[in-house]
Parts: sequence; C-alpha cells; structure tokens
Amino acid sequence: MEPLIDVNCSAMECTSLLASAPIWQDILAQAMTGEVLAAMNYASLSEICDDPAEVADALEHAEGELGHAASFAAEGRKIGVDVANNVDAKHWKRLREAFLRCIAERDFIGCLIVQEIMLESFAVASYSRVGKVAPGSLGETFARIAAEEEDHVDHAMSILRTERALDPQRFDDKVYRLHLDVMTTLAQMLAKECRDGHCEVCHASCVKPALFDVSLSAAELRGASLQQYLKTLDMLGIPGEVTLTWVTQLPV
Amino acid sequence: MGDSVAGVATRARTSEVDFALIGHQESWRAAADVLAVLRGPERTPLPDDEIKDILPWIPPRAVCHVDIGSIVGAKARGLYIDSFIPPDRLEAAYVHENIARVRGAAACAIKAGAKIVSLGGFSSILIEGNFDQLPERHDTVFTTGNTLTVAFIVQGIKKICALEGRNLRRSTLLIVGATGDVGSGCARCLAPIVSRVLLSARNVERLRRLAAELQADGVRVEIAADLQRFSAEADVVICAASLASSSLLLGRIAPHALVCDAGYPKNLSPRAEMLGVTVFFGGLGQITGGMKFAPDFRGVLNRHPFPDVVHGCLLEGMALALDGRFEPFSRGRGSITQERVEDMETIAARHGIYLAPLYNADGPVEDIPRGSGPAAPLS
Repeated sequence: MEPLIDVNCSAMECTSLLASAPIWQDILAQAMTGEVLAAMNYASLSEICDDPAEVADALEHAEGELGHAASFAAEGRKIGVDVANNVDAKHWKRLREAFLRCIAERDFIGCLIVQEIMLESFAVASYSRVGKVAPGSLGETFARIAAEEEDHVDHAMSILRTERALDPQRFDDKVYRLHLDVMTTLAQMLAKECRDGHCEVCHASCVKPALFDVSLSAAELRGASLQQYLKTLDMLGIPGEVTLTWVTQLPV
Repeated sequence: MGDSVAGVATRARTSEVDFALIGHQESWRAAADVLAVLRGPERTPLPDDEIKDILPWIPPRAVCHVDIGSIVGAKARGLYIDSFIPPDRLEAAYVHENIARVRGAAACAIKAGAKIVSLGGFSSILIEGNFDQLPERHDTVFTTGNTLTVAFIVQGIKKICALEGRNLRRSTLLIVGATGDVGSGCARCLAPIVSRVLLSARNVERLRRLAAELQADGVRVEIAADLQRFSAEADVVICAASLASSSLLLGRIAPHALVCDAGYPKNLSPRAEMLGVTVFFGGLGQITGGMKFAPDFRGVLNRHPFPDVVHGCLLEGMALALDGRFEPFSRGRGSITQERVEDMETIAARHGIYLAPLYNADGPVEDIPRGSGPAAPLS
C-alpha cells in the first residue's frame, strides 16, 4: 500500500501532517487560487502589451504562476488531499475584476500595481510565514515560491519607480485609488474572522480558527502581509506617513 | 474622490525638514489614540485586540509633520517618526528587535533630510550606548536629548522646593536609576546643592564610579543596588530608571518627600502608596513660540494637561533646530555636566522653551500663572 504521506519529513512531522492535512488543504487551496488568478492576470496583461518583449514577459510570468499552482497541487497530493482552486470565490473574483478594470483601460502601470505591489505583497509575506512552519517539502515549496514571487516584485519595481519619477502626485493618486479597491478586498480576506460568510475556497468551515494548530494565525498572516505592502510602497518612494494612513483606514 | 486623494498625498508629502523626533507610545491607550486619528473620525476606532495584533507589524515611519516657532521669530519644520515599539515589548528580551526599530526610524529621518534627530523615550535609552548602531548619518546628526531632560528635572525640583518653602540644601536626594545618562546628569547638577546624595541602580560598579566622581568634589554620597536600604531617608527623590513599565515601588520614603517621576513610561507603580508625598512628572518643557501638527495630533502625541508640553529629550532637537545648531549635543552615556545643562537651558530659553507647569496623574501640582499657555499660533 502506498504511504499516504510522502513528504520529506521526520516521523513525528509526518504524524502531525496527517492530523493537520485538512488545514494544509485549505492553505494550499488559497495559495493555488491566488496563483491561478495571477496566471490569468498575466495572460490578460499580455493582451494589452504593444512591445513583443513585454508580451513574452507577461506570458512567461503566467506560465510561472501556473507552475506554482501545480507545485501546490503536488504538495497536496503528497499529504493525501485534493487541492481545489476557485477563482470565482467572492473575494478572489473581486480582485480579478479590479485587475480587469485596469485591462479595460489598457492601464499597464495599474495592472503592475495591482498584481505586483498589492497581490504579490500578500503572496510573498504569507508564503514566507507558511514556509517557516510547514514541515518538509511543503515548507520548502512555500519558501521557494515566496522567493520567486519576490523576484517578480523587484522586476516591476524598476518600471514603477521610473513611472513615479515622471509625476509623483499623479502616480500616488493612482496607487491610492487602486488601494481603495484592491486592498479593501484583501483586508476583508485577511480579517481575523470571516464575518461575512464562507470564503468559498476552504473545503469545509473556515480554516482561520484552526491555523493555531499549525503554528500560524490569521492575525500573523494579515500583519506580515500589511508590513510587506508598506515596505513595498516605501521602496516605490511614496511617503511613509501617507501609506500609514492608507493602511490604518482599511477594514478589519 | 480625486480631491481627497490629492489632498492626502499633498498635505503629507515629505520635503526637506530641519528636525525629526523619534518616539514610541508608552501605553496601548496612547497607541489606540494615534491610530484613531489616522483612521479619521468617520471610521469606527479599531478594537483594542486588533490594535495589539496590527501595531507590532507596522514598520517605523513618519506619522505627522511638526512645525514650531521661536519667541524670536525663528521657525523650524520637523517630522514625528514613530518606531512603533509595542508598549508591552520594552523589556530587555526585545532589545535587538527594538534597536532595529530605532535604526529603521533613524533611516526614515535621514531619508527625509532631517538635519538633527532627537531620540525620545526608550529610543534614547536603546541608543545612548549604541550610537554606532545608527545608520550612516550623511548630513543628519543625532542627539539623545538627555541634556534638556536633565535641565527640566533639575528646574522642576528647584521650583517645587521653592513653591513648598523647602530648603534644598538641607535635603537628602535619592536618585533611582542613577547610573543612566539622565540619572547621572541629575546627580552632577544637584549634588553640589543638597546635603547628601543616595544613588541607586542595578550596576554596582557604575554606581561606585559615579560616587567616586561626586565624592572627589566633596559630596556626601552613599550607594545601594537595593533601593529599600535607604529610601526612608530621602526627602527628595528622582525616579529616572529605564523601566519597561510603571512598576517602581519606593517603599518607605520620608513623610512629605518630593518625588519627581521622570520615566517614559512613568517609573512609579500606580499601586505605590505614598501618603503625604508630593509627586510630579519631571523632564517636561513647554514651547511657547507655537507648535503645529499636521495632521492634528495635539493632545494625542503630547498627552499632557497643558498645551504645547513636550518631553525634554524631544525639545532638545527642536531647540537646536530653532537655533540653527545642528550638532549631536547629547550623545553617549554619562557625559552630561552642569555646564552642558546650562548651555542647553540657555539655547532653549532663547527660543521660548521653558520648564512646563508641574503636574501629576491627578492634575496640576501648582497654581498655574497666567501666560503658561502657548504664545501666538504659527501662521
């Protein structure tokens, strides 16, 4: 008989993984949904790029994100769970719609801000935290993908800094408008409790209360994500007192 | 929407500033009030549990602009930068994390182009022995601000003695936290004008060194790591210990003693029973040439019952900025002398920065004369 747990971890870790598999299943489902959505976003972005090099770049990113999704699915199989994704789940759908509004306006910079500054801040921070506590290859996969997503941000950062230098006020206004749209949704996703019903990604009840069982917490994931977001905005050059106000005004 | 977006960005856009003040909140209540201002009156304040979850994750950053004026017409522009050290993480266990936060705040000050930076509260305690851990300074200098803190503590002691008709020369002075920068500075200033000095601190070797220095000038000095050994003999007490919370119990002290609590957070435990003792909060000054926050954090960042009252450590940077003296006036530990204190008092007074009216947790401890409020607001 094939062992149910096939990750590279100690016997004690494997026993613990077996018990916590339903929790990892939901964490993987959220991550996989984010990756599939990112792939869709990059594919959409490729359609508004004029420069063939940019088109190729966007498609390469889309492929990369699908590869991440596949890695998460494979980690699920190793612990004996199916990892589903649902890009039509309410929060993720709103995030996709926000991105598509930028696409409709052929707003390349807006697309980069939504995907690379906002969504990737969330991904990098939360994957890094999960990578630190998840055992064996599960943790390694989260850590590896966090590092790869961080490279994406670095790539976008130079384009965005150049854009900001042209007209800082206009650029900051654009970031703020997108922040209100996208980060409000992300803040609702990251709230300590899902007060407005099921997120439509978790396979059963909400995973957040169970995160303590795997040495995580919803508050920690939210805190790390907002910290990463603030640091990314700092790197763009937006004044810290401005972004502090933005973040403190988000819903909790 | 467009106007409000532009409004937020324009009002707060950082430009070159003369000074920066690095601080942190001493209680969760104070932190909640800061976040409530940032959220704006139209939004529900964050619940306490959410504040405790969110604040530790906020990287050090500017919170507001601070414009100040001098009675001789000078003006200076500054920034208040919060290191966002959580109020319940001031203990030694978090020292590396907190030094990193102060370094991050210092980097914000440098990035903003501040010419001088004052370190408030635990920021100065963390850095006074670790100046080399601050980021490369370029055109920015750092001061712990401890010299003006000492000046206001000493002025406060003298003032309350005068108000109560006490003869300081007949007093036995106890300094708790005597080997710190502020405590040792107070010892040097007050030892020559009291009858006897009692020094208390945790580090006995440093106590011995300070005692020897004072004894060389003919001062009667005793030292003890155990405060209870001689607290009953003191009739003037300065509490200047680096305590992470208000936990100091003085035990038996002389009836009708005067106690100056100069800690941030306050040293004295709210449980301390000191019947007949006069307690006041020390080290505070008032800027009479005007002070304006943008956004308006009046009474939130400076939580005092009188207008424009600020801790001496922060006022030192403001005074130096108004004077155009961008120099690291206070740095290191144990180098505050009476001469330096007098120099700093002169600079501060030149710009209308004076000892604040004395008060404690129950309110003012003196009759407030007319004119203790601020002068004309900044135009």
